[in-house]
Amino acid sequence: MFLTRLLKPTVTASAHCDLPCGVYDPEQARIEAESCYKIIEKYNASSDEQFKTRAIVIKEERAELAKHHIDVLWSDYFKPEHVQKYPEITELCWKAAKQCSKVKGSLDLAEAKTLLDMIDKIADVWTKAGGPQATRVAKLAAARA
Amino acid sequence: MEPALRAGDWIVVSTLSRAPRVGEIVLVRDPRDGENVMLKRVAAVADGACTVLGDCPEGSTDSRTFGQVPLANVLGRAIFRYGPIGRIGWLW
Repeated sequence: MFLTRLLKPTVTASAHCDLPCGVYDPEQARIEAESCYKIIEKYNASSDEQFKTRAIVIKEERAELAKHHIDVLWSDYFKPEHVQKYPEITELCWKAAKQCSKVKGSLDLAEAKTLLDMIDKIADVWTKAGGPQATRVAKLAAARA
Repeated sequence: MEPALRAGDWIVVSTLSRAPRVGEIVLVRDPRDGENVMLKRVAAVADGACTVLGDCPEGSTDSRTFGQVPLANVLGRAIFRYGPIGRIGWLW
């Protein structure tokens, strides 16, 4: 026992792998991006300074979440074989993540619309790459159909 | 890092007197949290930093998430596993 205690490592290093749940859908990023779009609309329509300040804070938070979801899709869902087949995906994700930063700092509705369009392009590749079947759990209605 | 390393393995890490080489398992300081150290495999070394990847690309948190690790944050190289008994062996 003494020997075991003596030999026991003193530093713990993590080499763990995250447990991937395996559910990846660009819709998650799109909903956050839609929030940004709607918030900018509401911001522009309001004359309440307090509301406007809150709108900015929430929009920034949502833009960051959209970026996170895009990053997760890119790094965890898309595999080398997808990139080989759809080489555009790397640039699409990269540009969309950058667009999230733009939306975070902007109140221009057009920037938010651009982000939505970019996410839709990612979603097209995700669908072509078999994303819906590979990652989502069928909904009840779809399961019945 | 499975199957090379498993949770609970006891590892001897040697300090490095040279730059790490591709394929080696290194002990690196987490660039996001200096308190945390990790064992990852070197995928590339360039310009004073190395790219480290886990052996399970689907589930690993590695340079794809936290970027390159400066060589100053590479603390050593895993050379030997001395426990558990059934898994004792060199790591290169």
